[in-house]
Amino acid sequence: MVISTTGAPSGVRLNAVTGTATAPGAAPPAAAAPAPRLGTSADPGSAAYRANTEAHQALVAELRAKLDAAALGGGAKARVRHTSRGKLLPRDRVDTLLDPASPFLELAPLAADGMYDGAAPAAGVIAGIGRVAGREVVVVANDATVKGGTYYPMTVKKHLRAQEVALENRLPCIYLVDSGGAFLPMQDEVFPDRDHFGRIFYNQARLSAAGIPQIAAVLGSCTAGGAYVPAMSDQAVIVRNQGTIFLGGPPLVKAATGEVVTAEELGGGELHSRTSGVTDHLAEDDAHALSIVRTIVSELGPRAAKPWPLTPVEPPAVDPAGLYGAVPVDPRTPYDVREVIARLVDGSRFAEFKAEYGATLVTGFARIHGHPVGIVANNGVLFSESAVKGAHFIELCDQRGIPLLFLQNITGFMVGRQYEAGGIAKHGAKMVNAVACTRVPKLTVVIGGSYGAGNYSMCGRAYSPRFLWMWPGAKISVMGGEQAASVLATVRRDQLEAQGEEWPTEAEEEFKRPVREQYERQGNAYYATARLWDDGVIDPMDTRTVVGLALTACANAPLAPPAPYGVFRM
Amino acid sequence: MFDTVLVANRGEIALRVIRTLRRLGVRSVAVFSDADADAPHVREADVAVRLGPADRSDSSAAETYLRTDQILAAARRTGAQAVHPGYGFLAENPGFARACADAGLVFIGPPPGAVELMGDKINAKEAVRAAGVPVVPGSQATAPTDEELVAAADEIGYPVLLKPSAGGGGKGMRLVRDPADLPTEIGAARRVARTAFGDDTLLLERWVDRPRHIEVQVLADAHGNTVHLGERECSLQRRHQKLIEEAPSVLLNAETRAAMGAAAVRAAESCGYTGAGTVEFIVPGIDPDAPASAAEGVRDFFFMEMNTRLQVEHPVTELAVAVGPEAARLDLVEWQLRVAAGERLSFTQSDISFLGHAIEARICAEDPERDFLPTGGRILTLDEPRGEGIRVDSGVAPGTVVTSAYDPMLAKVIAYGPDRPTALRRLRAALADTRILGVTTNTGFLRRLLAHPDVVAGRLDTGLVERTAQQQPVLLAAPHSPSNAAPSNPAPSNAPTTAGTTAPAAPADGTDARATEPPSPAHLLYYAAALARHLELTPAAEPGGWTDPFSSPSGWRLGGTPAWTTHRLRTPGQDPVSVRIRSITAGNVTDATDNSPEPTREVELRLDAGPVHRARATLAADRLHLTVDGLRTTFALATDAAPGLAAGPVTWLGIEGDAWPMHTYDPVVESAAGAAAHHGALTAPMPGTVTVIKATAGETVRKGQPLLVLEAMKMEHVIAAPHDGVVAELRASAGATVAMEDLLVVVTPAEEAAEPAEVRS
Repeated sequence: MVISTTGAPSGVRLNAVTGTATAPGAAPPAAAAPAPRLGTSADPGSAAYRANTEAHQALVAELRAKLDAAALGGGAKARVRHTSRGKLLPRDRVDTLLDPASPFLELAPLAADGMYDGAAPAAGVIAGIGRVAGREVVVVANDATVKGGTYYPMTVKKHLRAQEVALENRLPCIYLVDSGGAFLPMQDEVFPDRDHFGRIFYNQARLSAAGIPQIAAVLGSCTAGGAYVPAMSDQAVIVRNQGTIFLGGPPLVKAATGEVVTAEELGGGELHSRTSGVTDHLAEDDAHALSIVRTIVSELGPRAAKPWPLTPVEPPAVDPAGLYGAVPVDPRTPYDVREVIARLVDGSRFAEFKAEYGATLVTGFARIHGHPVGIVANNGVLFSESAVKGAHFIELCDQRGIPLLFLQNITGFMVGRQYEAGGIAKHGAKMVNAVACTRVPKLTVVIGGSYGAGNYSMCGRAYSPRFLWMWPGAKISVMGGEQAASVLATVRRDQLEAQGEEWPTEAEEEFKRPVREQYERQGNAYYATARLWDDGVIDPMDTRTVVGLALTACANAPLAPPAPYGVFRM
Repeated sequence: MFDTVLVANRGEIALRVIRTLRRLGVRSVAVFSDADADAPHVREADVAVRLGPADRSDSSAAETYLRTDQILAAARRTGAQAVHPGYGFLAENPGFARACADAGLVFIGPPPGAVELMGDKINAKEAVRAAGVPVVPGSQATAPTDEELVAAADEIGYPVLLKPSAGGGGKGMRLVRDPADLPTEIGAARRVARTAFGDDTLLLERWVDRPRHIEVQVLADAHGNTVHLGERECSLQRRHQKLIEEAPSVLLNAETRAAMGAAAVRAAESCGYTGAGTVEFIVPGIDPDAPASAAEGVRDFFFMEMNTRLQVEHPVTELAVAVGPEAARLDLVEWQLRVAAGERLSFTQSDISFLGHAIEARICAEDPERDFLPTGGRILTLDEPRGEGIRVDSGVAPGTVVTSAYDPMLAKVIAYGPDRPTALRRLRAALADTRILGVTTNTGFLRRLLAHPDVVAGRLDTGLVERTAQQQPVLLAAPHSPSNAAPSNPAPSNAPTTAGTTAPAAPADGTDARATEPPSPAHLLYYAAALARHLELTPAAEPGGWTDPFSSPSGWRLGGTPAWTTHRLRTPGQDPVSVRIRSITAGNVTDATDNSPEPTREVELRLDAGPVHRARATLAADRLHLTVDGLRTTFALATDAAPGLAAGPVTWLGIEGDAWPMHTYDPVVESAAGAAAHHGALTAPMPGTVTVIKATAGETVRKGQPLLVLEAMKMEHVIAAPHDGVVAELRASAGATVAMEDLLVVVTPAEEAAEPAEVRS
């Protein structure tokens, strides 16, 4: 599909796509000039292909095992206790809420992985984007099988991240509340700061003010601060004899005033629906409550028009099944990133921009699940030319209103006297400036290394991509472990030698080992995802689906009008 | 021969008659009620005339097909010279026959006097007895009072059979074995007779145990020639309604056949009969303890009645009786017309012989699983069988709406073969090939009945069907019936299962036990229904041809394992079930949300908390091929998306002649429908009319106490209290027309009514 802006007045949303929609398989109209198809040079018979495949399979098996474990929440006993009360498990609540058989783009399913002694799988909350009554919504569902659904620091961070996704993409929020509130032993890390528990309700107010519906279903406890989730919602549902909302529970009431009262009397569904008016709909059980929520969503106002034109979806021409074999797992092994692009984009069609210039950065236009995307992909270390090319391409996409997809596999910018003298810092700054200021949605997938300033120019988390995911073999740190160890060792050696001391090679190795180990551990994708540095670790084979769903979610928000960039240092 | 003939009937017989008229080059005139405005017989006829009140729509038989005046007017209007009455309706109404004559029309049937004489069963018996035809002992009075009937029963001995004097076809007959029941039964029989025939005169006769119903076809011209066309055995009946008929009867030897034929001819001659008629005999079955010599010589037979019309089962005679050295087949309708037109029979008794064997099955809109209650609905799919030796006389078409207004018979499937085993085999295969979706029928039941060892062996009697239903119901039960779907074997785990509205979509321990045994046929039916629904989930169409990945029915989840999609299904009379389905993702499924054109998908599925099966399903327009554990089964499939189905579309699945509707079960909607629905709510078992209300709202009733009477298909159904309690709601009123499953009355159980509502949890 060829994108053209000819004749489009500036300041107007530019969706001038010349290609008309054609049915998949149909011959394109004569006037259209479809982009050429990418091929592949991967050889399925090669040893490297087999080794790559096995390495990816092992990584994906580990990912699946972790996801399966996290999906079980607080374990068998807690699940039995939960269901024996007639409650649906949180994932079943989500499945029941969503349209039948529809996909669910979960956010950070491995949040808090390896943290809190493993006490909070998925950080005790399920978050994601799904479809309810035909429209995309953000779902946040507490998992009461995990410590009663209480909020750990990562629970708070995940909840806030989900609200951020809702705000940026203008997606209605559905809160399936079943939570005892803040996790009290860690109150210093969940209560006082700006991005702590209180921010949830701040966000609810701001989201509602922005016209983004806030809907809560109280399916269990909603205690203390948690009481504000339904109270701050536009519409709230509560389940009779199951949901409770109160600022202080029966034990606290007894301690404070001596009044003896049951939880149901104090804050049950009947009370809040008939007397207090805190809730608007009284449901008989989970299924009923979720059905009411579906009705509420179906009655929300009309949806905004899509911000960019959409075309019929075409699967990649290069079989995506070869992705594992074509792409090496070790970020240090070079390969052509077009092998990834070919397996990601509609029809494997890629209109490359400036192919011959700054070749270590691949840029070009394509479509994923019918959405237009401008792809920015690393194909080696960034040079000045690559950075300037990247900035130019981002500006093109910004002008034309085309979302950006960054495929990040970057050790950093080229170093050395020649390059510094060539102004690589200012050229890199141009790309960072463009990434930071563009109005179009940005999506980032870390498919290899994410190191140093490369992370910045390729839209790392600090550059507010709408979404960011990592492949299981991806690494993220300020620099590679080996480089960090060497840098620190060199500094150390300089110090020692200045003091006239010897530093035997074994001692240097002993010094470097823990540094390498630290970088290895902290640069791991799971360490990153546990801390919400990304929106999830994904199976490389799922990349097309994940990006397609995410672009569809992004298309719920209109494009911002074009805005100026910062000063480009020339 | 006539130029134009009016067919005063509907359904298959009207089509049957029109077919012959067309072959003979005679113009056909159909008549129709508003309900039949687009019926096949109307489409098939050259001309058709509407019946019924001019100012409103009333399709009841009384206002349409029974309206002599309107039918005669239609004949005048279309220039018809003769009227073929078919069977039922006005076929045996001497008043109609006379009215035809008075209007200068030829009534295609016997003279009115013969109709009248044979229509009065008491006089008929006297007349044939006088002609030397043996009769069953019975009541003698012409219009016996209740007391006379009781006295006659005491005299001739029990068991006795009560029969409406004016009726036919077994309608309204009642068998009484216990003298204590007789007065009640007389009352009921009179009520039915009055509604059905407008005449509550009853007669009573001795009941022959293990009797066989064998009838002889006669044909007489107006020139004094009467022949018989051999017998038909109609012993396979249920409540005196014939199910299967065949010719010849395996019971009869040549001597008995000749004796019965001669008797039938005498009976016809005794009333000056012309045209086609049937003399029904009752023949005692063979006593297994009797000496072999008993099977030789002329067997006992008794005259039952004479039907002065073309019989439903006449095709078996047409197929199995040969005439002359060329073994020509007869068209009985053609001969009715010829005789009515004054022609002579062109053959004599010696030209007539049996050649081969023919068997007919009557396909009716009845539910064998619900005591053969009449069903109804719109025919969504109609596949009628074809093949060597197969004839189908059908009165319906796709889209036909079957109501309780008329007879429930939809079609007849008749198989012919050189011998009885061949005919049986062909008929069974043909019934398996008969796919009727949208209306529950007895097709599968008839198919199984034909495989009954006694039927195969020819050991028939009129009690066989009901006896088997009681003693060996498994022989007649549909293997795929949901009623066989015992609760699915729970997975071998400690997974708790919660009942009711909040059944979890997955066991709490997260395990999905694999199946070790193939699923039962009944489970397959549920799987097929769920898969049909699942495979019909399609991405929403967007302008410009774009497919929204969120609308892809993939159940895609981050991490590779798709979510289960729960399909909740309910088939009438059964508890709702949940079938959960998810696509199988072998590690390599690349893009679950791409819209694959591939119609076959491999899925995992499980019924309720049962084990997980792996299945492959292909959905075609009207077929679902389902392979589970290596066994491939094909179901016929149709979806009833008629507006007004509150709970969503109904999926119909058919296999081997059986078909079931699968409704969507929404636990939220069901529980919102109120607790009443679960506590003594009585719904209409079939579409019909409420005739009598026997209870009032607020009344305390005992279990079994009749609350109201529903009449449908000329049969009375008593709706009784399911338990002691109080009539909480009475929705029906006398005269009201009700649809199937309409709520009629709610009886709150006594113990519940006594307790304060607050105690309920």
